[in-house]
Amino acid sequence: MKKKSYNSPWSLQFNTAALVLIPAAVGINYLGKLFAGVLKLPLWMDSIGTCLAACLAGPVVGAICGAINNIIYGLTMSPISMVYAFSQAGIGIVVGLMAYYGRMNKIGGAVATGILAGLAAVSISTPLNIAFWGGTTGNLWGDAVYALSLAKDLPVWLASLLDEIVVDLPDKIVTVIIVMGMYRGMPKSLQSLYQSNGKIESLD
Amino acid sequence: MARIEVNHLKYRYPHTENLALNGVSFQIEPGEFIGIIGKNGSGKSTLCQAFTGLIPNFYRGAYGGNVKIGEINVRDVEVDELCQKVGIVFQNPFNQVTGSKLTVYDEIAFGLENLGLTRKEMIRRIDDALEQLDITKFRDRNPFDLSGGQMQRMAIASIIAMNPEIIILDEPTSQLDPQGSEEVFKAVQRLSQKGITIIMVEHKMEKIAAYSDRVMLLDEGKMIDFDTPQKIFSRDDLLEHGVLPPAFTRIGRGLGRKNAATGEYPVTLNEAKEALEGMAV
Amino acid sequence: MKSISLYEEKNSTLNHLDSGCKMLYMVAAILVPALIGNKWANVAVIVLSIFLLTISKVLRKTIPVLSVSGIVILTIVIIQGMFRAGNTTVVLQLGPAAFYKEGLLYSLGIALNVFNILLAICVLIFTTKPSDMVENFIEKGFSPRLGYVFISIFQIIPQMMETMNTITDAQRSRGMETEGSLLVRIKAFLPLISPVVMSSLVDTKERAIALEVRGFNAKTKKTFLNERKVTTTDKIINLLLIAAVLASVAWRVKLWLG
Repeated sequence: MKKKSYNSPWSLQFNTAALVLIPAAVGINYLGKLFAGVLKLPLWMDSIGTCLAACLAGPVVGAICGAINNIIYGLTMSPISMVYAFSQAGIGIVVGLMAYYGRMNKIGGAVATGILAGLAAVSISTPLNIAFWGGTTGNLWGDAVYALSLAKDLPVWLASLLDEIVVDLPDKIVTVIIVMGMYRGMPKSLQSLYQSNGKIESLD
Repeated sequence: MARIEVNHLKYRYPHTENLALNGVSFQIEPGEFIGIIGKNGSGKSTLCQAFTGLIPNFYRGAYGGNVKIGEINVRDVEVDELCQKVGIVFQNPFNQVTGSKLTVYDEIAFGLENLGLTRKEMIRRIDDALEQLDITKFRDRNPFDLSGGQMQRMAIASIIAMNPEIIILDEPTSQLDPQGSEEVFKAVQRLSQKGITIIMVEHKMEKIAAYSDRVMLLDEGKMIDFDTPQKIFSRDDLLEHGVLPPAFTRIGRGLGRKNAATGEYPVTLNEAKEALEGMAV
Repeated sequence: MKSISLYEEKNSTLNHLDSGCKMLYMVAAILVPALIGNKWANVAVIVLSIFLLTISKVLRKTIPVLSVSGIVILTIVIIQGMFRAGNTTVVLQLGPAAFYKEGLLYSLGIALNVFNILLAICVLIFTTKPSDMVENFIEKGFSPRLGYVFISIFQIIPQMMETMNTITDAQRSRGMETEGSLLVRIKAFLPLISPVVMSSLVDTKERAIALEVRGFNAKTKKTFLNERKVTTTDKIINLLLIAAVLASVAWRVKLWLG
């Protein structure tokens, strides 16, 4: 019964509330990144909004949030981050699907979601890193791993993959756990706002 | 001009138990100024949104009875079809700014662009709306740089530009300072004088009493009464319904002075004066 | 209100050019050197972009943008210069660290490519109003609903940053610690971000309603208050850019064939 009030996860029809959620989510991403910077956290924390939107409105909206997020970063801060729109979109899709199948209600499910989202980001970002930067990420710890791997004669793709895993995986796990906490605490009325095909019951 | 007809309207929000509106029926004639009063949670905002089709089309939930604007049954049309007949303004002026326009002028154009009007017609309507709300001098400002009262008048102008026959105002001044509120009330009064039907939810009872042709009292989703301000505010059970009558009515009641002709307590300053005349020695 | 957009009105030649023209320039500036596949083509386009940025009086604004990538490029030069597979010719010996010619040349290629792309994008975004770009796309058939999303972000993020400043101040005055050990700082993160998250989600409801009652979902074809002017100059530039892309495609095909 519960499923009935939800869209198909791949529906491209979304209501105005889901649409307005996108700029809000991008704003939340932006703030997460800023706060992480202010507090000097060793994590990016720049996909909280994307993950929340994916939980609330599904994988398609999540993917759009992720993509638009990086396009906006590109237009406002560093143009090169536009390329990673694909990785962010991947995170949105994974989290949206996991939430749709009810995995974002327990800590175990959230950790699994975080790992999957991280892996999605890693598998999309690594080829991009290799194409644009020769495999590095620009993150100190990640690039140290990269240099170490190359010094041990590992191939570039593997070194780059390890670099990216160090950079992305912990961040995504922490992000998704935080998002789960927020999502579970949200009032039902807010959760249903972004689902467009709820039936109107008759009281006549 | 469209007459509003509401028949046995019932509504329940999704994921809630109780009916927000429970069998409400009434009619409103074109050009009337209607005040809606009642305590928090009595169904005022829900009723406002039912006029525009947001209930049930935006919120979903459970719906019964019907709301008719002229010949149109609200339930059967989309919100964007109805928005040219019924306009609505909310409490928070901030959230009504679309956030996609850099000037007040462009902000008002937002709705007109969506309706596909010609450039000439847009300019005519925007200039007119700016004039009516007395905000022409802010036309090139950024919408977010306005004060609350100015922003709320811009929100009303944005609605007016769409030429509705009915305007709903849901606590339009509750987040404004006294000066901002006064500006908004003046603007609303001018619109009413032009023949637009006004339906206003408001906690400032003096304003409701002064402007309304009729006042609707709601409590727990039911319509308790719908009559002239004098009759409504003279009711003995107002406090039980969570409404404090205007100061003038309380004075009249305290002194036991009714209007001799109607037998009702005064609701405005002038009526209070009349009722009290002859008392002074 | 503080703007997050990098665009600035300077009344320059490029400001007056149609947004479509500048978008095409960006695409051509990235495609042409990639198709020709020669470092000197990259250098030529970089010089052209720098020239355009200079006459638009925004060259100085590119420095922060370039320096963000500059750091990444520096790490690339170091790592590739030292560790790239196939490194054989030492050109520089700094104590124990040896830099190789092959790795350095490879990273020079990356640097040129990245700087070219960055500058091409800068030409577009420093001289074009974001809403002009989006309206241009909408006229060409891009969804007006998604177009709204793009434009509104530029206004909503500064709004949220103001809210954020209020919250940070409030939390600080309540004695919340934003300095200290990692654990302390992680604990500080949640109370900072949660209120903004919740309030911005609640706001989405009212904003969605405000849009709907202003015909946001109307099926009629949208019109625009501001007229978009495409001049003859715009058209000529567009033709030249398309010709340049076609010529480099032809060049590439010729290389393949023989």
